[in-house]
Amino acid sequence: MKLEARNLGWSVRGRPIVTGVDLAVNKGETLGLVGPNGSGKSTLMKLLAGIRQPTCGDVHIDGKALHRMPRRVAAQLVAFLEQQTETTEAITVKDAVELGRTPWLTPLQPWSPQDDFIVAQALADADMEGFEHRSWITLSGGERQRAHLARALAQQPQILLLDEPTNHLDIQHQLSILELVAELPVTSIVALHDLNQALSCDRVGVLSGGRLVALGLPREVLTVERIGAVFGVRASILTDPTDGAQMFRFYPAF
Amino acid sequence: MSSITSQTINVSRLGRGILGIAALVAAALAGVCIGETPIPVTIVLQTLANKIFGSAYQLDPIDMGIIWNYRLPRTIVAACCGSGLAISGMVLQSLLRNALADPYLLGISAGASTGAVAVTVAGLGGGAISMSLGAFGGAVAAFAMVAMLARAAGGGVTLRGTGQIVLAGIAGSQLFNALTSLIITKSANAEQARGIMFWLLGNLSGARWPDVWLGLPVALVGLAACIWYARALDAFAFGAESASSLGVPVRTVQVVLIGFTAMVTAVMVSIVGSIGFVGLVIPHAARFLVGVRHGRLGPLTALIGAAFLIAADVLSRTIIPGQVLPIGVITALVGAPAFALILIRGRRAR
Repeated sequence: MKLEARNLGWSVRGRPIVTGVDLAVNKGETLGLVGPNGSGKSTLMKLLAGIRQPTCGDVHIDGKALHRMPRRVAAQLVAFLEQQTETTEAITVKDAVELGRTPWLTPLQPWSPQDDFIVAQALADADMEGFEHRSWITLSGGERQRAHLARALAQQPQILLLDEPTNHLDIQHQLSILELVAELPVTSIVALHDLNQALSCDRVGVLSGGRLVALGLPREVLTVERIGAVFGVRASILTDPTDGAQMFRFYPAF
Repeated sequence: MSSITSQTINVSRLGRGILGIAALVAAALAGVCIGETPIPVTIVLQTLANKIFGSAYQLDPIDMGIIWNYRLPRTIVAACCGSGLAISGMVLQSLLRNALADPYLLGISAGASTGAVAVTVAGLGGGAISMSLGAFGGAVAAFAMVAMLARAAGGGVTLRGTGQIVLAGIAGSQLFNALTSLIITKSANAEQARGIMFWLLGNLSGARWPDVWLGLPVALVGLAACIWYARALDAFAFGAESASSLGVPVRTVQVVLIGFTAMVTAVMVSIVGSIGFVGLVIPHAARFLVGVRHGRLGPLTALIGAAFLIAADVLSRTIIPGQVLPIGVITALVGAPAFALILIRGRRAR
């Protein structure tokens, strides 16, 4: 499904956090979103997920306005993996992942064996098999992140929004999650801090001061000059002799 | 294979439901039998048969009167009140994500007290309105004020800042408690002050059939709303934004459920006065038994709440011969240590 934002903005008490964002993500595409701390990435993700009302502009999914859809219908289309959501409830991993089926169930349309199957598949995809009955509070940060991902996958969305999904993850799980997202036949937007990981996205958007200052192919957008201007660091491009792949190395600006 | 499994689940769910209702009926029967004059269970059952099915057992009319006019409505009201308050507490704890939330947090109890005192002591309405109606009016007024204050503070029943309603509730409670004290010290004589004190701590002595016909539907509607929204309540585990991204119409659910909670509490308080600790402790006890999923938690919370208040009422009538203690004293005396036990054991279980 195609996700489109037009002149999207959000401000709090007159202070703009996100301003005039125009972007379109095509069916099956993976868009990486990068930007320094406080550049508005998380706010933009929440606007795109439809859980925050924009103060100007709108978001459309296949031409339909997201904010005018009932939340249930919107959540059948869009799943959102937030940053840092915690609970004090004594819930198990399975309880948490089963929450992903919420938009598909009603009091008259109860849990079915099909839902069990979807939850098991989501747990397997997030490499959380065998954790089903573990209590949430015994999980490490990375395991919690993977459980949240499994919950988002159990929603069976057409569009997947992930806010820093590789946070807290060890390197093996960072790579496997990004690979999983790239392989899923869904449209996805991934907010990332690692610019080298952003290089593997189909396209990359750069946020700075709440504005989308660049949007395009990773190589064209993530230039040494732009990284210097937006992130305030010097960067150089290295080539891996084993396969010729290119990557960044960063230095303090001075 | 899967159909067999789901059938087994349905059967065991049905079994649990029947077991729960049987336990509740047993508790209610015990509540009717036990008292200053103990009445054998056979006489209670025969009275019920006479009254409900028109049987013609020969019974002492005094026994029949005690059972049918006093103990039975009192026990049913206790059950409704216990389940209503417990359900309200559970809903508020889940929605506000605050383990200390209870129905009185919304200022409802304080408002009800002010309303009751205004009617009985200050003579508001000139005797045309009952104390219950005054309490109900006060409860609704206090909740309206707290809700508006929370809204003005930019929080309340919105997506963000559910903490505001807790703070607004504390402010509202303080204000209405002060008003109650003001009215009592200004107008009440010693006799009235004692009566009000007794009512404030909760009292089922006045419960009759009309109270049953008010309390029972309200408790059932509260339970039904909670079961209807069970999945939505589950989705609040990771906060309101997370619930929203799971497709829960957060604002609607909050307004509807907090509204129901306010209504249930206001009605219960107007019938029996304010009974502390039920709304706070019972949901935690139920979570300890069946976990946090509201499909199971809701009915069990209602059941334990009902049984607990029936038992507390029996204790309040029998623990000191010849004297009825305020039921709030019993619920707090039993509830506080029970709560401590749950906290300590819950910690160990982790």
